[in-house]
Amino acid sequence: MNRVLGALLLCMVAGWAQAQTTPEALDWLRKIYRATEKLSYTGTFVYQQGDRTETSRIARLAGPSGGTEKLEVLDGTPREILRTRDEIRCYLPESRTVKVDRRSDTRAFPAVLPEQVGSLAEHYEITLGETRRIAGYDCQAVLLTPKDDLRYGYKLWADTRSGMLLKARTFDRNGNTMEQFTFTQLRIGSVPRERLQPPRAIQGWRVEQAGVAPADLAQAGWSVSAQLPGFRKIVEIRRMLRDTQPVAQMVYSDGLAAVSVFIEPMSGRVEDARIGIASMGAVNVYTREVANHWVTVVGEAPAASVQRIGNTVEYRPR
Amino acid sequence: MKAKISALMDGELDAHELNEPLAALDKDVDAFATWRTYHLISDALQGRALLASDCLHRVVARLAEEPVLVGPLPAQVAQPVRARWFVPSALAASVAAVALVGWMAFAPQETAGPLLAPTAQAPRTAPAVVLGHAAKDAPVRLPMTAATRDYLIAHQAFSPRNSLQGVAPYVRSVSAESAPAKP
Repeated sequence: MNRVLGALLLCMVAGWAQAQTTPEALDWLRKIYRATEKLSYTGTFVYQQGDRTETSRIARLAGPSGGTEKLEVLDGTPREILRTRDEIRCYLPESRTVKVDRRSDTRAFPAVLPEQVGSLAEHYEITLGETRRIAGYDCQAVLLTPKDDLRYGYKLWADTRSGMLLKARTFDRNGNTMEQFTFTQLRIGSVPRERLQPPRAIQGWRVEQAGVAPADLAQAGWSVSAQLPGFRKIVEIRRMLRDTQPVAQMVYSDGLAAVSVFIEPMSGRVEDARIGIASMGAVNVYTREVANHWVTVVGEAPAASVQRIGNTVEYRPR
Repeated sequence: MKAKISALMDGELDAHELNEPLAALDKDVDAFATWRTYHLISDALQGRALLASDCLHRVVARLAEEPVLVGPLPAQVAQPVRARWFVPSALAASVAAVALVGWMAFAPQETAGPLLAPTAQAPRTAPAVVLGHAAKDAPVRLPMTAATRDYLIAHQAFSPRNSLQGVAPYVRSVSAESAPAKP
């Protein structure tokens, strides 16, 4: 009897211990963030989502001002993205458009610092998984298991030596894979500058500037009353999405997942908007109408969370 | 005519089939009585509390005082759900009631063409109300469109995933155009 009880107790303790965030796992997570910030590399990765895969080439040159990164989609039309600390340029050949999102130093894109990683343990159990070889690198798995149904879980595999992230899997509460990034080839080390050049043949392309400016939506009568637990507002701006009217954007984040709420007058949206929810991989987009405005909620969170935030958007004119 | 009124209540009629039963409701006292009786039956079957007998008149009176809003209606957002409405459900009944109230509010203003208001209003109002409910419970599944890409790109700039993975997650934002519509 005692032995049975003892075994049972052991199982419970083991189960409990397994679900607890460990300092080693947090150290590993910090190592990944640091590697993403510090390393220069070139490589090829595959993005998988449902039964679709898309291969891309990526290059990053680390530098004192945050580095420069370039992404080239190799399948389908050759879309390219160039990113620095305060500018993102998307080159979209089908529409012959360059979308530019530029920031001044005072409103740089928010970055998660390795020191802030500890706060993720409020919403995720962060534990170590197995070690495994990926694209020629010995990798350590780090698991982020959400403590509730409001967010997805993540499994990250990082090079044991450098901490470079080689594979990232997003899963829902049933363990189903929502999307996955996997490097098939990677070279860590110096990157020639010409690998980070913008595409050349873009004469005559339309340039769309985001023109980001601060905004006060509460002043304008808008409220997002019941936020999701753990998600706090990190950004509130006014911006252009196309060459039409400005759109308001608020971003809520738990430090890993983020949800944006866009609000725009119905008259400003040229294409047909529809009420409902669309999904791609781990991203859900929920559209609804509030007071003659379209509310579009975009988030790397379960559909129910995205919808829940969207449904609390209210307009009360002052 | 009773069958048509029942079908109207259940939202089973196409736009071109609406004229006849709506005209009947406008002119034929018996048809109107049938309409009310069917709603009463529906309410009784659903166990819904009955409203005060003069509720309709008070609602109509209040509606008459309200300004008429003219604006884009999100009525075309999806195909009306039909199969579920064989039995007049509480929802269908309330939708039909709204359509009726709308029709009654508009009817007195019509002198030359009494059919104009009902045909223009009823079919548009009904699906809009239904979808208002549907959007809250189980939203319509939509395909990712190229237009969605603007939002994905704008969102991605603020995603903490960038600190974890660099520019790689952007592949999703520029991927939307080639994404097939999910059934």
